[in-house]
Amino acid sequence: MCSACGFPAAPGHWTEAGAATPHARLRERFRRVQVLNAALAGSGIKTHDGGIIPGIQVISAGGAQSIVPNLDALWGEFEKRTGRAFDPLDL
Amino acid sequence: MTQAIDGRLRLTIIGGFLGSGKTTWLRHQLHEQTFGAVHVIVNEAAAAPVDDALLSAADRLTLLAGACVCCAAQSDFQQVLLDLCDERSGLADATLRVQNIVLETSGLADPAAILSIIQTHPVLVRQIVVVETVVIVDAVNARSQITQEALCRQQIEAADRLILTKTDLATPQDLARLCATLRVIAPAATLSAASFGSPLHLQDPSPTDEPFALPQILEHEGSPINACQLDLGDTPDWTAFTVWLSALLHARGDQIVRVKGVVATPAGRLLLQTVRRAVQSPEILPDRATPVESDNTIAVIGRGFTQDQLAASFTHFCA
Repeated sequence: MCSACGFPAAPGHWTEAGAATPHARLRERFRRVQVLNAALAGSGIKTHDGGIIPGIQVISAGGAQSIVPNLDALWGEFEKRTGRAFDPLDL
Repeated sequence: MTQAIDGRLRLTIIGGFLGSGKTTWLRHQLHEQTFGAVHVIVNEAAAAPVDDALLSAADRLTLLAGACVCCAAQSDFQQVLLDLCDERSGLADATLRVQNIVLETSGLADPAAILSIIQTHPVLVRQIVVVETVVIVDAVNARSQITQEALCRQQIEAADRLILTKTDLATPQDLARLCATLRVIAPAATLSAASFGSPLHLQDPSPTDEPFALPQILEHEGSPINACQLDLGDTPDWTAFTVWLSALLHARGDQIVRVKGVVATPAGRLLLQTVRRAVQSPEILPDRATPVESDNTIAVIGRGFTQDQLAASFTHFCA
């Protein structure tokens, strides 16, 4: 239940719609950083999600860390850190 | 019209260029009660409204005149939607609640901008789902509008359903060429015709119909628009798919006009829709006893990429 609108079917970010149970959500978060790190290999950016702190932790090669709430924000953060957008068609 | 099982209000956007026949079409649909119990929101860019008088068949109507809801009157539009949601949640009896909203946009509105207004609002995104974008195309004037007005082309690109009007005033050759052109601009949209709102038969397409030449008027428009199909496999990896798609939309949101499809996930069959960078929160569709053929095949419509590129890129993410 969302306390702002009182409506039970509160969807999170669209990328998180594939999991209905807390268990599945946690599994999906672990899977997400696994997919991300494979895709980001060689870019100097790594991600981490221990399942405890909400959001995705973004770590640069230089050690700078930040936490982003979702995948949309992650790609924005990637662009900010590296100066270019991550284009999946250009791998 | 089917009910959303998640209880959100269902919004239909009616777009189309100035004078294309939006109000005429809508008036007939209200008369026929196609939308059921519906609240109509009419937006007019001009300060002196006339459309509301024409739509007297609507039980409930809100008029927003003087500015376009996709840009200048955004906050007014949000307020109208919020009031509707408020009123609806105040009614204990579910049968009295309005289920559908129809927004008749001004002729100058970009349907994609309206979608993102709802998607970026923290309350509206949970209360309202955009079910369909209907775009009315004037068969007489469309040719010059499509070739000259970037906005007209954007409207057509965003459509789920295109309805041709004034077809009786166009020659059969011009009409056939216009249909071919529309199929190039919006390959995934369904195309039909209507006269004063009643459906008309539209001739079947023939390969000899030559589309009109489309000069470059939009930004990022170098190559023609492609409709690609992406097969996610029998058991799609939702996580890999969303990582991939979110990156793709971030990097190429201007070139990807539309993504649409149903993905089977452990949480149910999810209907995913995007218009440019705006992604609608996925709608959970009822489960079927037998697998649906079109599930797990996503239509990706845009320019600057090929179907093979998409497939190769996605496979890379699934590894």
